[in-house]
Amino acid sequence: MRAILHATVSTTAIVAASFAAQIVLAAEPQQGTRGAAARDTLRLPFETYTLPNGLTVILSPDTTTPTVVVNVWYKVGSKNEAVGRTGFAHLFEHVMFTGSGNVPYGLHDKLTEGVGGSNNGTTNNDRTTYYETLPSNYLESALWLEADRMGFLLDSLDLAKLNAQRDIVKNERRQGMDNQPYGRASEILTHATYPAGHPYSWEVIGSMTDLSAASEEDVKDFFRLYYAPNNAYLAIVGDFDAAQAKTWVAKYFGDVPRGKPITRPKVDPVTLQAEKRLVFEDRVQVPRLYLQWPTVGENHDDRFALGVLATILAGPRTARLTKALVYDEQSAANINVFQSSNEDVGEFLLMITPRPGHALTNLEAATDAIIDRLKKEGPTAEEIQKATAGEELDFVRSLESNLGKAFRLSDGAGYHSDAGYFRTEYKKTLSVTADDVKRVANKYLTHGRVVLSIVPTGKLDQAAKPDQSTRVTEYDEKKPEGVK
Amino acid sequence: MRSRFPLGIALCLSITVTAQQGLDRKKVPSPGPTPVLRVPTWTKTTLANGAELIVSEKHDLPLISFSITFLGGEHQFQPAGREGVGSLTAALLSEGTKTRDGEALSNALQLLGTSINASVSGETGTISFVSTAAKFGATLDILADMVLNSTFPAAGLERLRGQRLVALTQARAQPGAIASRVFPRIVFGTTHPYGRVVTEESLKAITRDDVVAFHKAYYQPGRALITVVGDTTSTGAKPGIERALAGWTKGGERPTFNYPALTEPKATTIFLVDKPGAAQSTFAIGRPGPPRNTPDYYALQVMNTILGGMFQSRLNANIREEKGYSYGVNSGFAYGKGPGAFRSGGDIVTAKSDAALVEFMKELRGILGARPITDDELTTAKDALIQRLPGTFASVSSINAAITTLWTQNLPDDYYQQYAKRIAAITKDDVMRVAKQYLTVDHLAIVIVGDRSVIEAPLKATGIAPIALYDIEGNPLGTQ
Repeated sequence: MRAILHATVSTTAIVAASFAAQIVLAAEPQQGTRGAAARDTLRLPFETYTLPNGLTVILSPDTTTPTVVVNVWYKVGSKNEAVGRTGFAHLFEHVMFTGSGNVPYGLHDKLTEGVGGSNNGTTNNDRTTYYETLPSNYLESALWLEADRMGFLLDSLDLAKLNAQRDIVKNERRQGMDNQPYGRASEILTHATYPAGHPYSWEVIGSMTDLSAASEEDVKDFFRLYYAPNNAYLAIVGDFDAAQAKTWVAKYFGDVPRGKPITRPKVDPVTLQAEKRLVFEDRVQVPRLYLQWPTVGENHDDRFALGVLATILAGPRTARLTKALVYDEQSAANINVFQSSNEDVGEFLLMITPRPGHALTNLEAATDAIIDRLKKEGPTAEEIQKATAGEELDFVRSLESNLGKAFRLSDGAGYHSDAGYFRTEYKKTLSVTADDVKRVANKYLTHGRVVLSIVPTGKLDQAAKPDQSTRVTEYDEKKPEGVK
Repeated sequence: MRSRFPLGIALCLSITVTAQQGLDRKKVPSPGPTPVLRVPTWTKTTLANGAELIVSEKHDLPLISFSITFLGGEHQFQPAGREGVGSLTAALLSEGTKTRDGEALSNALQLLGTSINASVSGETGTISFVSTAAKFGATLDILADMVLNSTFPAAGLERLRGQRLVALTQARAQPGAIASRVFPRIVFGTTHPYGRVVTEESLKAITRDDVVAFHKAYYQPGRALITVVGDTTSTGAKPGIERALAGWTKGGERPTFNYPALTEPKATTIFLVDKPGAAQSTFAIGRPGPPRNTPDYYALQVMNTILGGMFQSRLNANIREEKGYSYGVNSGFAYGKGPGAFRSGGDIVTAKSDAALVEFMKELRGILGARPITDDELTTAKDALIQRLPGTFASVSSINAAITTLWTQNLPDDYYQQYAKRIAAITKDDVMRVAKQYLTVDHLAIVIVGDRSVIEAPLKATGIAPIALYDIEGNPLGTQ
């Protein structure tokens, strides 16, 4: 992420065919409606085609608001990095904002934010995406900007620019992790869940040591391989004329040369044979318990039932863990549960913050008892209905944002070779059954998991089952830099 | 959705790519004609109970955004020593009504696929939802039940209090949260409403009677605006709303916003809050600012955009992009009914705390005249502000917010139509004048939350200002 204004993108194949599609969803029949006009269909029309150099283009016009979004999605993320160069894909994202052959530094911001728009980039394990939101009359210059850094980034690269961005990224890491209470949890959980050397075994932000090691040659090699049109997806969404946009796309991107074939990392599925128990001392005032199970990613349909399972366990006050621990027993201040899906792997994560006087050991036992019961009995039909009833509203609301639509279409094209994958996703979420949820709970929420307690410094005894937990020691990143 | 692609017709495209011989990539493409600003329209009526009703139609998607906004907030309605009662009362609206307990409310909303959000902040409060048009009536009935028939169960209050006390404890470890508690206490003083923050003591002091009294005094139609935006009609929405809120009888009036005078400004001081081992120092530099209704609003917006409102503004271009001291720094005004603060800052790598402070002061001196603004800076700032406007009317909830703000801030109905003209009229002299009037380097509160053992001596050596040590609650520990 380049700027502080955050955009969140979810996660997850290749090559797109030339076709057009649209979604037609049946709206709920009107019940108790007062004065509301009804619609019976919702549409997200788009068309997609591929340039001879391999660039996949997705166009989705919508004239509701006189704004347009350009999103360029490259199929490269932290899983493509080498051990010893972790954090590189994200550091590279920053370099992409330092100017290119025909675009002096600063002009990119001037032609986006400076004309009432915005720009940013985000990197995850699987992909790096760059976007501009613009008044609709600035579409051509945005395409020119994106084509120039796809074609001519290296013409203006120098070590000073790399070093400046390196310092900024280190501050991004400090701000997001090292200087935040509980900020190290994600890294510790990732290291414990994945075997060393596994492409998902490091954080997207990387380690301070590796960030220091990245060289100018690394930047050039990475760019030549991954930032080629055959590894990219260009989405244009909003108020524009499709024929005009096609002319500009051909003009600016058409002669960017195709890159070499890319070898993707081999990603083995991950299972833990036994429970790993860890404790980490942090500058926090209140301890917190994390339970993480390796699950599946974007490329596996069990993620839909796992998502419903997460909603049944925590969130609304009637969710099982929330009701029992936050409301009835009042032993927890809050509980959060997520299924997060990267392209090839995923994790099911549970976080519990205790109320004063309640031990993590007891909260873990209470949580396990509730999960065991769900594994035995399965959820009720009403629980399934409540967990999925919000899907329609969430979907329609996402149609209000050009940027949201651009991400959705690009993710579908990039991960599933189908920009219209959102239709499949919607249907699969709504067709999750109680049996599906029971099955995935039994399959994934096993003894093979990571149990991490984060405790205030000096309070190792506050961990869940402290005598069975291994202390995680300091990382080098924890020392403030420049302080000897 | 105004699709150019009719239903059921697949478009197969054959794209011919011609080699772009002679394409001059150095040439920046020119923008097309500026799109016409389309400001949403709305109708305004008053209900029998005195509440105002605004309806704005938007029919491209089957969505409705609904809100009731109350004028006045914790600053006007919260007794001293009971900081947090407004926010707790809002949360308690979800804990049960005469006919539905908390679980029944939650179940009903989950099945409708939506949620109702209630909050009370310093000068306004709101209760709102976004639903599909089909679920609007049923969701509105639940909202009305929450506003009119809440029972404020004691058990719910105790649970929420317990959860909030944990959150307060957790915040003591979070540098940004510490800075946000300490900064207003120092800038406004602990007796000014803007300087009063929620504390453990105030949370513990709140009784159920306090909550019931706050609810009774606060949730009144005489100070309320109902805003409905989306797939409904002006004539169609009103009867349903009147029916749902039939039991909401006349009462309440718009509050006055009389804030006590500020104390004499103190000479610039560094207020250092120790956070041992911190990897970064959190900076909050500022002073009281003007209210939202200042005629200088437009000039201030242009000035701040140049100083710290954008990525390439002076502060971020220097301290992040050029020096690499931070992931991002910015500045802004917290416009409200009273003297909302000007605040600039960001998170700075510990070892560069002193160097970053020197740069912050340099940029403040710069905008005060040491570095005159250029034609290019002025034009870019104005273009950015003016051309950002159309994008703010994209969703039913953003349109709701845009319209409701006019009401809460007493702005004219044609505010958005006039906005571009007002911004375009700002000159360099205007920017300079408001910088000198509202900014200073002589009377600033410089709050820094960081590792004292590492940063105190270098900060002192800058000679910028004396250092006063404060604890994480914003209480003085002694002056160096």
